[in-house]
Amino acid sequence: MMDDSVHSRTASSETQSLNLTLNGEPLTLQVAPNAVLLDVLREQLGLGGTKKGCDHGQCGACTVQIDGQAMNSCLRLAVMCEGQHVTTVEGLARDGELHPVQQSFLECDAFQCGYCTPGQMMSAAALLEDERIGTDDASVKEAMSGNICRCGAYKNILTAIQQARTQLAHDATAPRKEGVA
Amino acid sequence: MNDLTQSAFNKPRVVGQRTPRIDGEFKLTGRAGYTGELLAEGMLYGYPVPATIANGVLESLELDDALAMPGVVDILHHGHFEHLHRSPNSMAHGDMVSEVRLPFEDERIYYHGQYVALVVAETFEQARAAAYRVIARYKEEDGAAIGLLHTDAQGELQESAGTSRGDPEAAFGGAEVKIDSTYQIAAESHLQMEMHATLAEWRDDGKRLVVHESTQGVFFQRNAMARIFGLAQENLEVISHYIGSGFGNKLFMWPHAVATAVAARMAGRPVKVVLPRQQDMTGGGNRPASRQRVRLGADRSGKLTSVIHDSTTETSLVHQYVDACGSATPSFYACDNVSTSQRVLEVNHGTPCPMRAPGEVSGIFALETAMDELAVELGMDPVELRQKNNAEQDPASGLPWSSKHLDECLTSAARRFGWDKRNPAVGSMRDGDEIVGYGMASCTWSAGRQPCEARVELRADGSLFAACGTQDIGTGTYTIVAQAVAELTGADLSRIEVKLGETSLPAGPLSGGSMATATVLPAVAAAVRDALDAIKEVATGSGGAFEGSDADSLEAEQGGLTDGKRRVSFEEILETGKLSSVNGKGSAAPGDERSEYSFRSFGAHFVEIRIDPDISRVRVARVVSTIDIGRAINPPTARNQVEGGIVMGLGMGLLEKLDYDPRDARLINANVADYIVPTHADAPDIDVELLDYPDFKHNEFGGRGVGEIGLTGVAPAIANAIYHATGKRYRDLPITIEALLAAS
Repeated sequence: MMDDSVHSRTASSETQSLNLTLNGEPLTLQVAPNAVLLDVLREQLGLGGTKKGCDHGQCGACTVQIDGQAMNSCLRLAVMCEGQHVTTVEGLARDGELHPVQQSFLECDAFQCGYCTPGQMMSAAALLEDERIGTDDASVKEAMSGNICRCGAYKNILTAIQQARTQLAHDATAPRKEGVA
Repeated sequence: MNDLTQSAFNKPRVVGQRTPRIDGEFKLTGRAGYTGELLAEGMLYGYPVPATIANGVLESLELDDALAMPGVVDILHHGHFEHLHRSPNSMAHGDMVSEVRLPFEDERIYYHGQYVALVVAETFEQARAAAYRVIARYKEEDGAAIGLLHTDAQGELQESAGTSRGDPEAAFGGAEVKIDSTYQIAAESHLQMEMHATLAEWRDDGKRLVVHESTQGVFFQRNAMARIFGLAQENLEVISHYIGSGFGNKLFMWPHAVATAVAARMAGRPVKVVLPRQQDMTGGGNRPASRQRVRLGADRSGKLTSVIHDSTTETSLVHQYVDACGSATPSFYACDNVSTSQRVLEVNHGTPCPMRAPGEVSGIFALETAMDELAVELGMDPVELRQKNNAEQDPASGLPWSSKHLDECLTSAARRFGWDKRNPAVGSMRDGDEIVGYGMASCTWSAGRQPCEARVELRADGSLFAACGTQDIGTGTYTIVAQAVAELTGADLSRIEVKLGETSLPAGPLSGGSMATATVLPAVAAAVRDALDAIKEVATGSGGAFEGSDADSLEAEQGGLTDGKRRVSFEEILETGKLSSVNGKGSAAPGDERSEYSFRSFGAHFVEIRIDPDISRVRVARVVSTIDIGRAINPPTARNQVEGGIVMGLGMGLLEKLDYDPRDARLINANVADYIVPTHADAPDIDVELLDYPDFKHNEFGGRGVGEIGLTGVAPAIANAIYHATGKRYRDLPITIEALLAAS
């Protein structure tokens, strides 16, 4: 998917240098000062897993994790990410093994068209690590309400998140597997 | 397939069984390429400039500043565009479009958000920045048609959309009990998560056009573009592998796709356009507002004697769209005197188009609310009233139903819901500070089917391949095609590859109208059987694994052929025959059964709402539904669609409304925060039961489709529950907190 001509085109107009860690890999790139993180991911880096649904921070489809926090990538200029750790859905699976959230989304059929799904999973993975958010269904639904699913797969998404919680707890007590966080 | 009660799928192993989506991992890892994120060598970006008025004339465009912006390649507009032709817009010829007017066709502005220019630039940021610098000067005119719900105008009568049997007016006049109510539903936005998107590229020195589009119908778009650009269909390819859903507004092509293809030709490079959400909402389709008058006449026992259903919906000034609200009404209840009529009013809005259960979902809100009003008037239980008027055969056609189990839907859902605990007295059920309301409604959607072709390959590497030019918009079509192949070959699902969403594949149907499953699977089955015939010929031929055997004595089993004594894999048969693969082609179409039976799904929704009277807040606490869709090919994905329809119905009932400015018809809430849809926190407890009565009269798989029916009936069940809680009859949707406050 990577298209080198996109890099060179962007670099030919006014750009700024940006250093960040993307999905665990250090990366330096040239970005336009008005380029939004979401567009840099999708158009410049060819990471299409992060979706565009509104460009206004209203739908949650573009959710990524920045330093472990779920954030709308459409509301951040790329240059604001200097020195930060950005994780996209492409960085959720490790060594070819699905993250427990991905696995439970698959098993629970927690999606239909799949377009909001990366954002749902990035929010879900973050909230499962967030001790401020209660573990009951109502707390999870409240915390997930920034991620709209127009197919309306909310029931299965909730089931999947709670199933992933159980799996993560199990993983935490089980002998640690190589390469899985 | 003459015996319509029997099928090869009477006792299936894979069909009807829970099957995880075969495209799931692509979607869950970000590898599924939706149109908007595709990249092409040398690609440019287009960003449309939308009209900021809804009614008037574009007087001038000042483009100098925008053209001087970095990276800008071109700006297309009325004075700088190609001469094209309109699509004939025919459903029968498969070239229907959502808006027949071509982009920039004239300088009149018919609706807010209409494209006045398309900026083409090297990067997305440059295109967007330059689009903001285009200055459009308008002569705005008074007298914009704000919308159906802002006027008493009647609209044009659509003679062809009306029906009548018996003498409904006379029967209504003489009825012992009468209901005469008017219902209004605000325009809705599909708000599919992925905005409309096009990537267009001209190849072979401009002779061939390749278009990636987020569409529910690759063939319709190809056919329409061929007519618009004057190209042979063979020189056009439309591709749509993953679609961030559509709900109807991606059935037929919109003007942005034409503008994108022109931009690509003028620039000599690929061009991508992803509509900004605001433009997707103003010009990318909507469910038009409706006003419906329903008159019911009944005798004291509750038997309907007359149903008169008169509807008006909106269309735009540039395209005629009829949202036929009354289309389910003639088939809904046993009644000798029934008429429906339909009017259409032109308004200064973006063009409306089908939205999930088009027409009928609006019509069923009116009809099923009126039935609740009748039940109250009669002092009869609403479930009993529906059972009393159950149509044992289709009263519209006089034909028997292929399969109907509405009564079981009503009784099963009522039992699981606990309907017997309902105290029918208004406002009588309380839980703490909350008033509890129970309401119900029936739901229905027709079961259609279209002609379809498919291709299947059995390959020497052990894989199986199935292809059809339909789409998977999230409903699970990829997976059910694989299930059909697995069922008939015994091959493991992991060996089966499915390709959809390309016009280079055998012609497939629109993904819409709940028709794809019943349309596609029989064609796939025919193609599998053709491929099996071919591999049996290889196996029984000279040097074959079953040389000399009768081909008819061989059966497919576990990805191979068996004569009952031994099994040889497809791989081995092909290897022995020195063949890379065998191919099968299949086609299928509805037949004589359509004149012998009526095909329609039915179901029932039961809803519990809770109202906090101190703050006029209404909440849908739980929904219990039983739906008869024939056989669910993949039960979890089918159930998921019904659950999603219920959530969308909650939005229709309580939240969703496109708001047009009463001064100038501009769309006020063209964004995802001000146009409110249900979120996780709004989602009720949902309990969906799918009955399992395979409808082999409809097709050999027994499935009738499931996309629309879950949505129908939800909004009236909510409104009826609110009546039960408050005694206030809400006939306008959405039932907002403002409406509840006004009544309290």
